Amino acid sequence: MNTAIDSSYSPDVVVIGGGIAGLQSALDLADQGMSVLVVERNASIGGHMIELSKVFPTLDCASCITTPKMSAAAHHPNIQILTYTEVEAIESIEEHHVVRLLQKPTYVNFDKCIGCRLCEYACDTEYPDPFEQGLGSVRAIAVPFTNAIPQKAVLDAEHCGTCGTCARVCPTGAIEFDQQPRRLSIHTDAVILATGFQLNAVTIKPQYHASLSRDIISPLTLERLLAPHGPYGRVLRPSDGKIPSSVAFVQCAGSRDESIGVPYCSRVCCMYAIKQAMLLSGALPLADITIYYMDIRAFGKGYEQFYQNAKAMGINFVRGKVARIQPVDGSDLSVLVETTEDAENPMQEHRHDLVVLAQGMVPGWNPKGIVNADCAGDGFVATPQLTAPTATTAPGIFVAGAAAGPKDIVDSIAEAGAAAMQVSEYLYQKRSLTTVG
Amino acid sequence: MGLKTLTAEQKLALTKLRESLGGISEEKRQAQKHLLTARKGILKLLESQPATVPQIAVALQMPADEALWHVTGMRKYGKLIEAGEDGDYLLYALAPKEEKADSAH
Repeated sequence: MNTAIDSSYSPDVVVIGGGIAGLQSALDLADQGMSVLVVERNASIGGHMIELSKVFPTLDCASCITTPKMSAAAHHPNIQILTYTEVEAIESIEEHHVVRLLQKPTYVNFDKCIGCRLCEYACDTEYPDPFEQGLGSVRAIAVPFTNAIPQKAVLDAEHCGTCGTCARVCPTGAIEFDQQPRRLSIHTDAVILATGFQLNAVTIKPQYHASLSRDIISPLTLERLLAPHGPYGRVLRPSDGKIPSSVAFVQCAGSRDESIGVPYCSRVCCMYAIKQAMLLSGALPLADITIYYMDIRAFGKGYEQFYQNAKAMGINFVRGKVARIQPVDGSDLSVLVETTEDAENPMQEHRHDLVVLAQGMVPGWNPKGIVNADCAGDGFVATPQLTAPTATTAPGIFVAGAAAGPKDIVDSIAEAGAAAMQVSEYLYQKRSLTTVG
Repeated sequence: MGLKTLTAEQKLALTKLRESLGGISEEKRQAQKHLLTARKGILKLLESQPATVPQIAVALQMPADEALWHVTGMRKYGKLIEAGEDGDYLLYALAPKEEKADSAH
């Protein structure tokens, strides 16, 4: 637990969320000389981006982009980071904000922990690793993942057997079983909400029967399978470890459908599916890879060429809508698709080893009752001013990245920079007025 | 590294933590027992020869996805290594004794 920060700390800006948008905002503000506190609910900063294998359309290593940003934020003299910390409330009084935080106990003294992982190796309790989407295992006390920041062990009390072995092997005496949750009240002049997104459940459409098969997976699960340090070290089928010979992507599986409450387009699914298909064709050269789509939305710079490259590589694009996915004999998956490409035979059934559902992006955090900023009809933080696209309905509260709506990494980073500039301008004007007054 | 003895303060703190968690539930105890039994069974099975996940699942009478989860964890923490392929499946074998490092990281 980081105890260096207490309620006497009063940064210029508090950034809620340590993903790529939050980190970019924090770095841009800190480089202007402002003090910034980044609050992250997980045990490491990095957000979803650190979970990804590569990014589109350049196919750059995601970790190679994210890790330097994480490290830069962690070592910046103007940035403080609180991980494993939840926001309980943001109270605004005359454009001044009090951010009430709950720091959860890690049962490890971060000042003493050297990240040696001897405690992790000695622990004999394992559970499904949330970072690996449950595919791999992690021990009850562990450094969250390889390039986590901070590189400190965290004890998960829910899974801990309380045997005490970790404390017996720790060379620095860092294990503190008596840690308690800590409440802090941080006073600040501005807040940036960079709380990101989550994906809706793979089970959201019952006709896809994801609850019946481990091989109907989310795109974030496939990201971990494709990652060089992923759970299996290669792409395997989660139900039995088979090297898949046929993989399907079902687009719009959690978006553009009013019946599931997500009528909007999630904007990134087409591109990440194309990216994942290209990466799969490299990882599994003999596999058939099919993308079932309604329309391909390749709107960004270089995206259309990326799509054309995928077609040229032999990725099979089938225009149509998947009506049903059903596990069948031999652990295969039957995909029934209504295609517009064959007028005589529109209803077609295909067999695949692995199916990836393009789930919809939904808000990662519900600010209702916590902060006085409104949400739009889609549940994301509302940004009603066309000329101030990162300003929320609450003065001094700004938003960046996917917290304001579905967007890709490039747009999230651009918007994070914009939020930092708007905060900077806001604080300059506010402090000028205060000085004049 | 040898095991140190817990101090009286650490023992007390550990007891209090255990109490705050409501003790060790029977469910948790059974889950841990199941984990250790499965891991021991896999190690014993692979002493004779490498095996695929379906073969491990059949031999230990457990679902294949669970066998894969155990193999994944054992590989991560240096107990198993990949040992080639058998058809569409990977073969797993015991890691050499000196290979204790975290191979997945």
